[in-house]
Amino acid sequence: MNDRRARLYSGHLFVLILAALWLAFLTTGRAQEQTTRQTADQQTQRLLAARCAVCHSTDLIQQQRLPRDRWEATVKKMVHWGAQLDATEEAMLVAYLATYFHPEAGPVVAPPAAPRSGEEPGAAPNQPGVPARGAALYKHNCLPCHGEAGRGGMGPKLARNPILSQEDRFRATVRQGRGAMPPWGDVLRPQEIVDIRAWLTTIPD
Amino acid sequence: MSQKNDPLISRRSFLARAAGGAAVALTAGPIGLLLGRAESGEPAVPAQDSRIVRVARPYDAETRVHEFLSWLTPNDRFFVRSHFGPPPPDQIDKAAWRLTLSGLVDHPLTLTFDDLSKFEEVSVTSVVQCSGNGRAFHRPQAPGVQWERGAVGNARWTGIRLRDLLRRAGLKPNARHLQLQGADRPVAATVPLFVRSLPIEKALHPDTILAYQMNGAPLPLLHGAPLRLITPGWMADSCVKWLTDLTVQAEEAQGYYMQTAYRYPIRPVRPGEVIAPQDLKPVEAMIVKSLIAQPQQGATLPSGNVMVQGVAWTGEGRIMKVEVSTDEGRTWEPARLVGDDVPYAWRQWQFLWQTRGSGLRTIHCRATDDRGQVQPMTSPWNPGGFLWNGADRVRVRIKEA
Ligand code: HEC
Ligand code: HEC
Repeated sequence: MNDRRARLYSGHLFVLILAALWLAFLTTGRAQEQTTRQTADQQTQRLLAARCAVCHSTDLIQQQRLPRDRWEATVKKMVHWGAQLDATEEAMLVAYLATYFHPEAGPVVAPPAAPRSGEEPGAAPNQPGVPARGAALYKHNCLPCHGEAGRGGMGPKLARNPILSQEDRFRATVRQGRGAMPPWGDVLRPQEIVDIRAWLTTIPD
Repeated sequence: MSQKNDPLISRRSFLARAAGGAAVALTAGPIGLLLGRAESGEPAVPAQDSRIVRVARPYDAETRVHEFLSWLTPNDRFFVRSHFGPPPPDQIDKAAWRLTLSGLVDHPLTLTFDDLSKFEEVSVTSVVQCSGNGRAFHRPQAPGVQWERGAVGNARWTGIRLRDLLRRAGLKPNARHLQLQGADRPVAATVPLFVRSLPIEKALHPDTILAYQMNGAPLPLLHGAPLRLITPGWMADSCVKWLTDLTVQAEEAQGYYMQTAYRYPIRPVRPGEVIAPQDLKPVEAMIVKSLIAQPQQGATLPSGNVMVQGVAWTGEGRIMKVEVSTDEGRTWEPARLVGDDVPYAWRQWQFLWQTRGSGLRTIHCRATDDRGQVQPMTSPWNPGGFLWNGADRVRVRIKEA
């Protein structure tokens, strides 16, 4: 009788432990899923600021409430008109927009905001800039706003801009963004910003 | 109350409530700087802007409807719709600016701003309304700027008849359309230009004018300085701003903004349905519509007599009747039409409402024009979200007596 009770008890304990373990597994899984999603969202928000805010501010995007297929068509149209997105970025962006700005989303949908990039440790690169690499980086990231050969567009002229001679200010401005310019600190590595500056300084008058 | 339905929400609280961080930083940029500056050196967008900003860049902002208690809408409160934003000031500087008229004409013309004074000066008071006004009310929502009630205004426009210019140049027999282009340019050359066209009949209409004044002042930068088209009775997608190039053609203008955007189905359509191109035609005339300017959305009012006031307008016709309902559209009572009945302008109206009981109430208004068009409760859905003219509604709270 006592024996049976003990067996029963230990049986219960075993089940309990199993359940606890299972629960722990589930919660960490969910928490992990959540952080992955948050990180992905933050990446996509940076993408939105860097690639979509070129021709219009992002409020035009956030006020829409569209089903996925309409978002697909809209982003396709933007790419056709000159938005700089590769296929992976396009898919990321559509998934994000369809998640937060769908027809049933209420009037206010506030996905967690991307943190402003602060000073990263070891931000100062020690390699001199490589203009050839900078040219390619410029074309993909900066040209839509600052124009062909840095001649200016929606953003100011960068060729021959006095800021080019102040390396620290250049890096800080690009990394942190200013006004309508998005921050690049989380998009570009410090060395890449130096490469872009190196290329910009080679542009003749 | 939801932000979408409250046109009175302030820009700051909108931003605070909208997606934070990056979005705020991006939209709260130095708008005046980005838009260029007016000749006076003043920022194009005044620091104290009472309009509801829908898009910070290029600038789209609507008027708060209580402004419509005034028959004429002040220039600095008048709604602004920009496809690409104002051109750089040097391009539209009166000394440098030129207007060309070419294509199917006997004598192509190039005019300076001073040359415009050689034509007879005329004025017309006309409603100008964005075809997307009310887009936010369509369900499912259509893509585009989510305008609510205030992408419309009534102003006195002064300039010259487009017809006088066309006659000076002499139209060839196959002239059918007038293509219009302004000096505004997109950020990237890959974006289609805002090129529109007008059927030649509307271009030759004696009331269609090239305007250089708005409410007696030089046309402001945001409204198309130095010259824009005004097509009384028609939606504002024809009212091209910063106008520089007129081309007489046999065909409609090509390109996105004429052949794809600003088109409306000629038959009822379901959301998601594929519509053949020949079943879409350009948005042209305005349709009958009215707004409640007072009381304001969300107001708390004493019980007893409440003065309900607003405006009503239609395309190329006249307003015959405005009705008000305070019981969710079950019964309607006529409002009094007041002020002058001026062609193309809006008509003001008033209704003295004797409230009964207390609590939340909805006021609706609907207008009827001389063609018998009556505003429906909701407008037919269409892919572009155009021509919303559902009965206007305002929710108020009546205090206990
Ligand atoms: C090369 C310029 C450009 C870029 C980059 C761009 N857009 Fe647009 N976008 C436009 C233009 C032009 C319009 C139409 C504006 C108008 O007619 O007023 C527009 C309109 C929109 C609209 C309103 C709906 C519509 O179809 O008109 C949405 C939503 C939109 N863009 C989303 C985006 C997104 C998301 C991105 C980033 C992938 C993006 N845009 C990047 C040029 C651009
Ligand atoms: C979405 C448009 C946009 C993109 C993309 C963009 N910029 Fe900018 N940039 C701007 C605007 C607008 C300003 C002016 C900001 C202000 O002063 O308000 C600016 C300012 C700058 C300045 C400061 C110039 C000065 O005179 O002080 C530098 C440097 C700069 N950008 C570099 C870059 C680089 C490098 C890239 C690519 C990695 C880039 N920008 C991408 C819009 C953009």
